[in-house]
Amino acid sequence: MAAPLIDTPTLEKLERLTIHWQKSLPGLVGGHNTSRFAGAGQEFLDHRHFHHGDDLRAVNWRAYLRLEKLFLKMFQLEPRIPVRIMLDISKSMTSGANSKFDYARKLAAALCYVGLVRLDAICLQPFSSKLHDAFTASGGRHRFQPAVNFLSALQPTGKTDFLNCARQFISEYPQRGLLLVISDFLNSNDAEGDCERPLQYLADFGHELMLVQIWADEDRQPPWEGELELEDAETGERVELAFDADARERYTAGFDEFCDHLERVALRNSGRYAGLSTSLAVEQAVFSSLVNSGVLQ
Amino acid sequence: MSFLNLSLGELLGLVGAISAGIVALYLLDRSKRNQVVATLRFWVSADVRTQLKHRRRIQQPWSLLLQLISLFLLVAAIAGPRLGLIDNSGRDHVLILDTSAWMGSRDRQGTLLDEAKGAARAYVLSLPARDRVMLLRADALATPATPFESQRQLVEQAIQQSQPGASALNLQQAFEYAERAQKLQSRRAGEIVFAGAGRVPEEQVSLGVLPPNLRVLPVGATPQENVGIRKVGLRRLPSDPATWDIFVEVRNYGSRPHDVDLALQFAKSPAGEKLLHLKPGAEEQAAFAYKATSAGYLEARLNVKDAFPQDDRVLLELPPQASLHVAVFSGEPQLLRPLVAANPQVQATFDSPDHYGAAVKADIVVLDRFVPAAMPNTNAILIEPPAKTSPIPVAATQSNVKLERWRTGSELGAGLRTQDVVLESAEVFTPASHDIVVAEAGAGPIIVGRENKGTKTVVIGFHPGRASMKYQLATPLLMANILRWMAPESFRRWEVQAGTVGTVRVSVDKNTDPASVRVVDANQRPLPFTIAEDTLQFFSGAPGNVSVLMGDRETVYSLTLPDVAEAVWKPPASVRRGVPRASLDAATQTDLWPWLAVLGGLGLLADWLLYGRSRVFRVKASQMVSPLSSRIAARVGWRRQERKAS
Repeated sequence: MAAPLIDTPTLEKLERLTIHWQKSLPGLVGGHNTSRFAGAGQEFLDHRHFHHGDDLRAVNWRAYLRLEKLFLKMFQLEPRIPVRIMLDISKSMTSGANSKFDYARKLAAALCYVGLVRLDAICLQPFSSKLHDAFTASGGRHRFQPAVNFLSALQPTGKTDFLNCARQFISEYPQRGLLLVISDFLNSNDAEGDCERPLQYLADFGHELMLVQIWADEDRQPPWEGELELEDAETGERVELAFDADARERYTAGFDEFCDHLERVALRNSGRYAGLSTSLAVEQAVFSSLVNSGVLQ
Repeated sequence: MSFLNLSLGELLGLVGAISAGIVALYLLDRSKRNQVVATLRFWVSADVRTQLKHRRRIQQPWSLLLQLISLFLLVAAIAGPRLGLIDNSGRDHVLILDTSAWMGSRDRQGTLLDEAKGAARAYVLSLPARDRVMLLRADALATPATPFESQRQLVEQAIQQSQPGASALNLQQAFEYAERAQKLQSRRAGEIVFAGAGRVPEEQVSLGVLPPNLRVLPVGATPQENVGIRKVGLRRLPSDPATWDIFVEVRNYGSRPHDVDLALQFAKSPAGEKLLHLKPGAEEQAAFAYKATSAGYLEARLNVKDAFPQDDRVLLELPPQASLHVAVFSGEPQLLRPLVAANPQVQATFDSPDHYGAAVKADIVVLDRFVPAAMPNTNAILIEPPAKTSPIPVAATQSNVKLERWRTGSELGAGLRTQDVVLESAEVFTPASHDIVVAEAGAGPIIVGRENKGTKTVVIGFHPGRASMKYQLATPLLMANILRWMAPESFRRWEVQAGTVGTVRVSVDKNTDPASVRVVDANQRPLPFTIAEDTLQFFSGAPGNVSVLMGDRETVYSLTLPDVAEAVWKPPASVRRGVPRASLDAATQTDLWPWLAVLGGLGLLADWLLYGRSRVFRVKASQMVSPLSSRIAARVGWRRQERKAS
């Protein structure tokens, strides 16, 4: 049994939370978020004309007696939709004094526990240059330990390829659902590696995006100065440069601009965004940043 | 250029080690640092300088060069370089401190010696620590107080313990001694420094060749007025031994005329007074006569206020008048009275032979033609003693005896001379071997002297006051010789001379045998003397009494007056003067460390402004300096490292 990623008091606190999504996604009954899709719900939603093949049990017979027309009663559906957590396990997650990889695993475990408590179907999908083997858990908190074991067994590997992963994800998971992407969203600086287009693909497919960006402090404000020889953690590419306070300001500005760009991508697609620093405790990140973003309630 | 703290090799080694460390630190600081990052996209977009160069290449040669130069300057400043001659060995200086009598004179701020001590201490303190100093106290004699000494404390202590002497300064001798000491004892001759007033005798006003390394610390620049007693002489008048003939010599050493009152006191009673008018540099003599037979102190005093009161007063101890008591026992005293009483120093008493007693109190007893049963215990003169009782056996008594010869070789017969003297009657004696024969007749000695156990006896075979000898000149002389032989101290000529210490010259008779002369101090210790060209010369460096005894003449020199020289030695204009401001080395060398330290600090400041972390200064400074540095680099040939912005 792997060591617990989250301690018990934190888990007890997490039981109060619920994963919340905004989109009205189709699904079977049993969920806890209302949907604009009508279905076998308890709350009346609307009437529509009866069509052939509709369930006769939903016909409003009172309206038929007055109007001699068949109207079908529609009820508000609270579907069960899949909650998928894409976890970045590329090598870029290992840079920094505080490992983003560990931070991401703890955060994924927390979200997984919240979902399991609410009987959501949680799918943990590691990815780097491709989608790795996923872990699906549902049915209650007693399925949490296997999820922890799965997360603990993950190893950082490969470089990030969002485009390839998006393609695989779309083909592999046709049912739309809530997609939480936990990543630093940092990949190589070539155009193909940019994460915007793959995220847009996923949103266009119908998934509700929740982008959780994790960065180390070194990623946002490098503490070094002088002549540096930098190595890309994923590609191994090297570059030599001179870095000073002025350059640090420009670097931070560029990083913040990238974060803003990510947030705009999420909001543009009715998604949400949360930026977390590894210096922030996981518990605090869950109960402040994620709750404020609306993904948890 | 010399480095007092470090040798050149040590300095270069230190600079090399520090430079190597600086270059290593520079390369470490300026070399690229390996760092693994999540992505390179923001680094490149941050528009930072990117240089794909070798790691150990010096990226900012101007900065490194500036740092190295600045550190070299700072290390050189720490080394304490000096511009000038290298002088690693100490020098040996001779400090001549004038301790002559004149240095005891006072001005408003103390004695001249105090002023000279201050100048000497200031000079010693100005010397480098490695220099050695010999302190030479100079008066009539040059006396080293310390050897060449490097411990300043000992030299200062010796300076402090110096006191004014009583003699005049012999500057020539002091210079010669100093040069000789530097030649024989010093490692490296330094300076000969004279600290004093330079009051010297007339003959030393213009010294010959001065030491080339002479420095003078002038003392007593303002002229001082002084009138002093140079000499005092006393002797008893030959015609009247009870009267002292007193002679006083007074000199005006100053530059203004003075009227001084010279007063004499004997036994605290006024003995004479004279007003002397003294012109500048002139000497006046005053003579006094004072009758005194008793002993006492004679004081000569100048009632004047001047800078040197030590020579304004002389105190002499005078002995009582010596007298010789002669007791004459004769039946015909009128025959002997002219012979005995003619000498004023003789107190003669005449009495008949009947009153003779063996316990008679007299220095000399004269027995005229009788011999008592008990001879006196003192000196005795027997005139024609009876043949049977004569202490010297009488061989025969003859008439018409011709006095053939005087024995002038002895003290008794000195200067006696007669011609064709025939004595009516005379006794011829048979002297012993140790007896002194004074006069002889054809048959034998007729005057014989004998000295036995401290008493002296003279037997005269005829009566000198009778018959043919009565009118002979040799008769009183014979009596005087006999009295002087028996009591020489009573007839000794006694003189007192009060003078100054130092060399004393005394005129003596021609062909004086040095063996007959004695020169003794107050403790009767003999002093060395020389006799040349009828002049006796001796030296006394300390105040005191010195007696010169020559036969019946004794002269007492009371050398208590300080010897004040008459002239002032003025050093030539080429001689260095005064206390040097700093050490002798410092005078010839210039400290460079402040300039080097300032330059090094400015270099480091410039490096910080141009290449340091401060962006504000760096940008402005680089904008100002970059055109210049580019031109210099282009001239030197360095390829400037281009900034590469990604």
